[in-house]
Amino acid sequence: MRIKLKFEENEKKFIDRVNELSGENVYSCYQCGNCSSGCPFVFEMDILPNQIIRLVQMGREEELIGSKALFLCASCFTCQSRCPKGINIANVAEAVRHLIEPKGKDYFGPQEIPAELADELPQQALVAVYRKFSK
Amino acid sequence: MGNKKTKLHYYPGCTLKEKTTNLDDTTYAVMDLLGYELIEPENWTCCGAEFPLTEEKIVGLAAPVRILRQVKLEGGNKVFTVCSFCFNVLKRANEAMVTDPLKHKRINAFLKDDITIDRVTGDKTTGFPEYNGDVSVLHLLEFIRDEVGYEKIRALIKRDLGKVKVVPYYGCRLLRPKGKIGIDKPDDPSIFEEFLENIGCEVIDFPFKQECCGSYLSLSMPDAASEASYNVLRSAKLNGADVLALSCPLCYYNLDRRQDRIKEKFPEFHEMPVLFFTQLLAWALGVDEEILGLDQHFCDPRSVLGIDKSGVEI
Repeated sequence: MRIKLKFEENEKKFIDRVNELSGENVYSCYQCGNCSSGCPFVFEMDILPNQIIRLVQMGREEELIGSKALFLCASCFTCQSRCPKGINIANVAEAVRHLIEPKGKDYFGPQEIPAELADELPQQALVAVYRKFSK
Repeated sequence: MGNKKTKLHYYPGCTLKEKTTNLDDTTYAVMDLLGYELIEPENWTCCGAEFPLTEEKIVGLAAPVRILRQVKLEGGNKVFTVCSFCFNVLKRANEAMVTDPLKHKRINAFLKDDITIDRVTGDKTTGFPEYNGDVSVLHLLEFIRDEVGYEKIRALIKRDLGKVKVVPYYGCRLLRPKGKIGIDKPDDPSIFEEFLENIGCEVIDFPFKQECCGSYLSLSMPDAASEASYNVLRSAKLNGADVLALSCPLCYYNLDRRQDRIKEKFPEFHEMPVLFFTQLLAWALGVDEEILGLDQHFCDPRSVLGIDKSGVEI
């Protein structure tokens, strides 16, 4: 069996950009899974928080595109408070979202809000969701 | 009475002036009784609700830093908030100005050229001083613990809340990220419990007090948020609580105003009253019922406070 030990140029670039944008070092993760066992939204996720980190470590950008899990992060920082390596996983998820989002297109923009909800929504929810999921 | 009140900067945040006026009104009422005159920073804006997590979104720091700089320009050295989101953003933005030289440089360069126009005279002001993170940002729970003192609160209690079984709900923004917030230990907090005990509630512990309620996902992934909120409320009920106490307007929206949608998804769900910590404090300190804004709640909390439907205290 052949094991690839060297990253392709674009894979290396992706990992470096995630580390640079997030200010974290994804290589320090040793896949203990504490983040995934604490995350309150894993029940809805296609890949788990530790798998997001693993895919970044391997430079697998294309496998992260379209992942629902990246958009289920509520930035509650439960993962960060439990990570034995001190990685802020929410920062990594935000960096990945930034890099893979289709350019100029919102994941969740104002057009997604149903008119009947517009009156009752607290301002901070609108500001927060656009900050997170739109350009 | 008639004593001179201590002036104190208060940043309410956008939601409190519109959707959760009950939180704003009860904050004013209790701080007045505790001897404070609240000053809102001139021309305050939304704090941005989310602290920018990547370097690319650094401009999100401009709004909170501008608010803090305004407090300083008005001669304040501290500002308190009651909204957990605002507290989190202001506190972290302030910390970034102290510990991160690059953010300090970029944000101050951006804000230096602000122009303010006096509404009356039309005079323009520009050329603002640098902001160096020297205003302390406090949450009201922290301010009460450290500066007002529980003894003073106990001495001012007018109504007995003794029969009310309350669960404290911290949620995420009051405690995390670990190492950045410092209001209490993120894994084993007790500040909310101490507060509730001192205003005369019976405090009930429950395992979901630090879990996320769904936050802004109630807009983008409503089903997932409903499930998270359901888990919190169900656990509170199973542990024997009459009411859940919180400090965040978004948690309040998810845990109270969306109870009809939680019930749609989970038919066995039982309604559960939710109150802001300032409403409980206001009630304990003898504030009138209409200030509490109980009509704004989806699940009527009157019975918890010992008020019957016509507004008479039982």
